Amino acid sequence: MDVFLMTLTTGIMVGGIYALIALGWVLIYKCSGVLNLAMGELTLIGAYVSLSFYSMGVPFLLSLLFSLIIGFVLGVLTERIFLDRLIGEPILSVIMVTVGLSFFFKGIVELIWGTDTRVFTPAVFPLEPIQIGPLVIGQVYLWSFVAAILLLVIFVGFFQYTRWGLAMQATADDEMAALSLGVSARFVYATAWAIAFMAAGVGGTLLGNINGLNISVGYLGLLVLPAVVLGGLNSVPGAIMGGIIIGVLQNLAGAYLDKYFPGGVKEIAPFVFMVIFLLFKPYGLWGWERIERV
Amino acid sequence: MSTTFLPCSVYHEDYTQDHAWWQTKFVRGKMILLFLLLFVVIPPFADAYVMSVCNQIGYTILGALGVQLLIGYCGQVTLGHAAFLAVGAYTSTLLVLEFPWPKFLLDWGLAYPISIIIAAIVAGIWSVLFGLPSAKVKGFYLILTTMAAQFVTVDFVIAQYVSKIGGRGQAFSLPPGTIKIGPWVIDSDRKVYFMMLVLVILCVIGLANLLRSRAGRAWVAIRDNDISAEVMGINVVKYKLLAFFVAGFIGGIAGAFWISNLAAISYEHFPWFWSLWLVGVILIGGVGSIHGAIFGAIFMVVVMEGLQLAVMPLADTYPKLLIYFLFIKEAAFGLAICAFLIFEPNGLAYRWWQIKNYFNLWPFSY
Repeated sequence: MDVFLMTLTTGIMVGGIYALIALGWVLIYKCSGVLNLAMGELTLIGAYVSLSFYSMGVPFLLSLLFSLIIGFVLGVLTERIFLDRLIGEPILSVIMVTVGLSFFFKGIVELIWGTDTRVFTPAVFPLEPIQIGPLVIGQVYLWSFVAAILLLVIFVGFFQYTRWGLAMQATADDEMAALSLGVSARFVYATAWAIAFMAAGVGGTLLGNINGLNISVGYLGLLVLPAVVLGGLNSVPGAIMGGIIIGVLQNLAGAYLDKYFPGGVKEIAPFVFMVIFLLFKPYGLWGWERIERV
Repeated sequence: MSTTFLPCSVYHEDYTQDHAWWQTKFVRGKMILLFLLLFVVIPPFADAYVMSVCNQIGYTILGALGVQLLIGYCGQVTLGHAAFLAVGAYTSTLLVLEFPWPKFLLDWGLAYPISIIIAAIVAGIWSVLFGLPSAKVKGFYLILTTMAAQFVTVDFVIAQYVSKIGGRGQAFSLPPGTIKIGPWVIDSDRKVYFMMLVLVILCVIGLANLLRSRAGRAWVAIRDNDISAEVMGINVVKYKLLAFFVAGFIGGIAGAFWISNLAAISYEHFPWFWSLWLVGVILIGGVGSIHGAIFGAIFMVVVMEGLQLAVMPLADTYPKLLIYFLFIKEAAFGLAICAFLIFEPNGLAYRWWQIKNYFNLWPFSY
């Protein structure tokens, strides 16, 4: 029972980070209809940038802030240079551009930072675990979870209460209507990419704090894809729930199924679960069901 | 885009002429010249390096054909095709190495050819298994299930279980002389080259013929609008699964062929990168045309080899460049895909089609 509770809490904590990255993904999809397969690389970039600043001696929060700023700039640039020209092109082209971008970013990251595992030194979060009732939780997980939840709240608040956030919601809902009300769609697309870069950067930094940082963190970033599919492609609460479900599922699979299927069951469990889930609910938990007509 | 204009003064009087593959004497001459070039002219003059590049092109073509069928003709985007190549390669290897073949089959050198066919069928069935969700989901949801195919097959089933069959560790080594077809032992790039030519030609002819049959027309109808296709009486699920089967079948052939070129086979030969690479190949070559798969494969392999040749001489002065080359290659590939999609969304095959039409209509282009 203890093991169960432990894996459950760890799963929820890691799931919070996935939820954060998934939120960035859903945002791009909702605003501009782009299915972004480069999310893993976005997490990598953000994580490496903040790690570089941190190892130069900049305080952690400040380096996170720098990585947010650089993420913002990169996001706007990416949208302007690559995605802006593809508005109205077939969906496969847009998806494949993001695949091309993911290769490009990955190559650049490997060129600049190499492929060795790097860790945040000195450790950002204290190493001693914290005891809450019967649970023992590593502080990294706890603080990451707190940070992820905090950012989620900030993002949701941004969408609910600020002028820009409302403009983005309007564009996501009905692009034509938003345009006629004076919302600049191009501005909204650029902001969506910038926010996705920033969310992925924070997520990547937190993930990098847990197990060190190398290219495989990009693979963890890829895990947001099952998360968003689970929640439904265009649902913000779905992304958050999906992220947490994937985190829990991954850890439970690692704890219980590893005996029967030794090896990488932890990595593939989310994908297998997703395929089976899709057979029963083809649009995820809260995705819009598309009614198609000829 | 598929129809080319006929040259001036060529008229068709019945349907057999209309359906002929080589509609004019010029085309027939051109194709015969092409075959001569491939079979007679290139082999004596090419050294081992050129041969190996050619083999790589052939392997890429075989892999890309299946992707082209799924994406370009049936509209089912797949990002996990390397999984089916891996299934083909591993099935063929296991059959050749572990299966107790009857003595006379071994003597006649039929073990490997039979294993190719079985590998293709197994890969096809495996592909159908992962195509099953396509009955219910489409678009991005389907892309994710094909990605799952890649991760489940290569990173889990093959890496963790299949690789360990027979107490082996990571890789299956293929002792020299195990790969033989009839009396010929496939042991040099030159022999692999001829085998590659035969397989590519067979697959291209087979696929091209399939595409102008009922199945091919059904696939195109599903790609263009699956609901209208269903209304017209096409069994959408059946034809989607058939497309997955044929794509997996060709992928299996590709994988089983590629083991003849390798000394050892490991799951690292079939990474997710390779799946995406194949999709990139058809995007650069042109979606929805067999020419596209061929042009894309030639272009990508030649450009990457050229890049390597350009980098190699510099490696003496900058030894780090060799390590970085892999990363540069990745970044260049990514940029190439983006650039092609932005500036040349129809791919190389479209240019080829334009050139052909230009000369067919010349000098009266109106």
